[in-house]
Amino acid sequence: MQQNRNVERRTVLKAAGASLAVAGLGATATACGGDSGSSGDGTVTIRYAWWGAEDRAERIKKTIALFEKKYPKIKVKTDFQVYPDFWKKFNTQASGGNPPDVFQNAIGFLRKYDAKNVLLDLSAQVEAGNLSLDGFRAGLEKFGEVDGKLLGIPVGSNSMALVIDKPVYTKSGVKPEQGWTWDDFDAAMKKIRDKAGRAGDSGMYGVMYLYDLYLRQNGKAFFTEDGLGFTESDLKQWWTKAEKGIKEGIYADPKKVAQTKPKSAVAAELAAGEFTWDNFTVRYTSEGKSEYGLAPIPTTDGKKTGQYLGSLMLSASKRTQHPKEVAQFINFMVHEPEVAEIMGYDRGVPATQAQYDAFKPTDPVNKAIAEYEESLVKAGVLEPITPHPNGADICESAFMRIAEELALGKRSVDDAVKQFFTESKTALGS
Amino acid sequence: MGTAVTHAPAMEDLTKDSEPRQRPAKSPRPAALKRRGRRETLAGYLFMSPWIAGFLLLTAGPMIASLYFAFTDYNLFDAPKWIGLDNFSEMFDDPRWQNSVKVTLWYVAVGTPIKLIAALGVALLLAQKRRGQAFYRAAFYAPSLIGASVSIAIVWKAIFSDDAIVDRTQKLFGIDVGGWTGDPDLIIYSLVALTVWQFGAPMVIFLAGLKQVPRELYEAAEVDGAGTLRRFWNITLPMISPVLFFNVLLETIHSFQIFSSAYIVGGGAGGSACGPADGSMVYTCYLYVQGFENSRMGLASAMAWVLLVGVALVTAVLFWSQKRWVHYEEGA
Repeated sequence: MQQNRNVERRTVLKAAGASLAVAGLGATATACGGDSGSSGDGTVTIRYAWWGAEDRAERIKKTIALFEKKYPKIKVKTDFQVYPDFWKKFNTQASGGNPPDVFQNAIGFLRKYDAKNVLLDLSAQVEAGNLSLDGFRAGLEKFGEVDGKLLGIPVGSNSMALVIDKPVYTKSGVKPEQGWTWDDFDAAMKKIRDKAGRAGDSGMYGVMYLYDLYLRQNGKAFFTEDGLGFTESDLKQWWTKAEKGIKEGIYADPKKVAQTKPKSAVAAELAAGEFTWDNFTVRYTSEGKSEYGLAPIPTTDGKKTGQYLGSLMLSASKRTQHPKEVAQFINFMVHEPEVAEIMGYDRGVPATQAQYDAFKPTDPVNKAIAEYEESLVKAGVLEPITPHPNGADICESAFMRIAEELALGKRSVDDAVKQFFTESKTALGS
Repeated sequence: MGTAVTHAPAMEDLTKDSEPRQRPAKSPRPAALKRRGRRETLAGYLFMSPWIAGFLLLTAGPMIASLYFAFTDYNLFDAPKWIGLDNFSEMFDDPRWQNSVKVTLWYVAVGTPIKLIAALGVALLLAQKRRGQAFYRAAFYAPSLIGASVSIAIVWKAIFSDDAIVDRTQKLFGIDVGGWTGDPDLIIYSLVALTVWQFGAPMVIFLAGLKQVPRELYEAAEVDGAGTLRRFWNITLPMISPVLFFNVLLETIHSFQIFSSAYIVGGGAGGSACGPADGSMVYTCYLYVQGFENSRMGLASAMAWVLLVGVALVTAVLFWSQKRWVHYEEGA
């Protein structure tokens, strides 16, 4: 031990030096940490966060390069995650007072983050002329309005659809048409199971947005301003049918569906179709080997689908130091025709007429999406959206999870319904 | 060592801590030495200050904060609201919480013993002098080195999924379960398999323990005609019981803290948080869900403290039980 003492001292000194250095570095890092600052020459950096996959990242990178070329005084830093991780990170950042200046947003989160004082009311920027609300299609500019505040600007519109594996449908001799009923749909599911040997659907019973349409067809809705717009017996009906469908094999084996996630069950050839947003066809085409198409939503009365346009939006943080630059950025992203040429229908059909005209799809997948949305407009089935209260996002994940538990045989229908209502009441604070 | 101790009081304290049974009596110190001692103490604290600051800022501070949050309704955005014991009563009434406790206890009770048996078994094999022994030791230890990483959990998920290697092998034997990770009852077994596979760390400790057992004992037993099993039972096991105790303690605590593997195998990015139908929803996963998905930091803090108390209780029981089965050689 004695002869080691010198060495030890030296090591200790080194260690102390190292920790001081680390502390020093830490200090520098924090100094640079407030990265949404402006530097001496008036250049401003804004942070832009969004969710999505690699493919979207490539496109967004190109649009930002375009923006920075046009606005050399504004630099954009991006940050992206997959959908569930995005919100965890956002939550933590926003609560720490350091949310991104501008970020992708969706209807289910508007009230939630408005209640938490996170979202910037963009109407002042509209008045100041930094952001234009002209030229939006189908009244989409109203989409991000909550209680008179403008909390989000739509970048694209999409609608619920039945994405189908075309060859399987053809092989089974099923031809879905606008106005088909739920009885037609059930018969089609059986036909596909019998003729193609594949489950007809991947698990519609857990898709909150589809159940919302079904409720709307029956004069109700999933949410009201501050609660649920349906009763326990409504849900009991929906899930009893689901239980039966799983047993009969017309809905895919939930065990296998759970394991293919995040890949979709349709692309994994577990099911012939899935109710989801129409722009997902793009994703399925890159994931799977088959040819995918869009079919209309079944109806209760042969006419009303309950559909509305959904949309991804861009929102700004209330804390941003650069509201003007953020507004200019959003304005560029929703109006600039070249942006639409780059993004395509990745985030839905472009929200403004200028962008819509700029991108005319030539590939069959994007063409099908365009045709589908046009057919909705022509059929006149689109209605205004019903509200999503604060806590809607938690209700959605509870709905998905409990439906899966039911499907896996871990809960009876009664039990599942009871559990969902208990959890929703907590989440909605009602 | 004795002389060094009088010069360095800070070091004296250290020796006291690490060897509690060897307490040298304090020697009276002359004034000059005392002054020097004070200077050295000061220097000691100075060198320790980064650690002390780190402890106060990064460990003690957050712990106190979390203890406070445990009694509040705190959603990260609004100021925490004092609600007394409501978080705790809500937690105990929550069936998802009860399920997470059940899953975790099951995982600890099944996974830990199997892992330790595997570790001890392999350590016994590797303790013998064989050719290529160093290679085998490294090979068996390797999974523990990489095991904590996220990538292994992803690989694990791929191995145990539907139509993957495990599922296909099972099908050769006529067992068709359609993958483990999609089955709420089976997914936890894949996590147990993962922890057992990472037996390297306790194995190394067992190896060290086995080396300490005096050869003479075995020789004497052999002379008396004791067989292999007998020697293991009556010599090896009692002699390594302190090491065994250490491993049991460490692995038990470790098992209670399982998170990343459960989170990733059970869903991770893009999937529902922790397994189909909460099949692998271990305690820390549910804590994470409540804290970061549902923004209920108060409730999550309360859950963390309940976990701490639970682990402390289990540890206390283990310490209490050691009197019955752990043998320390007196005067060693």
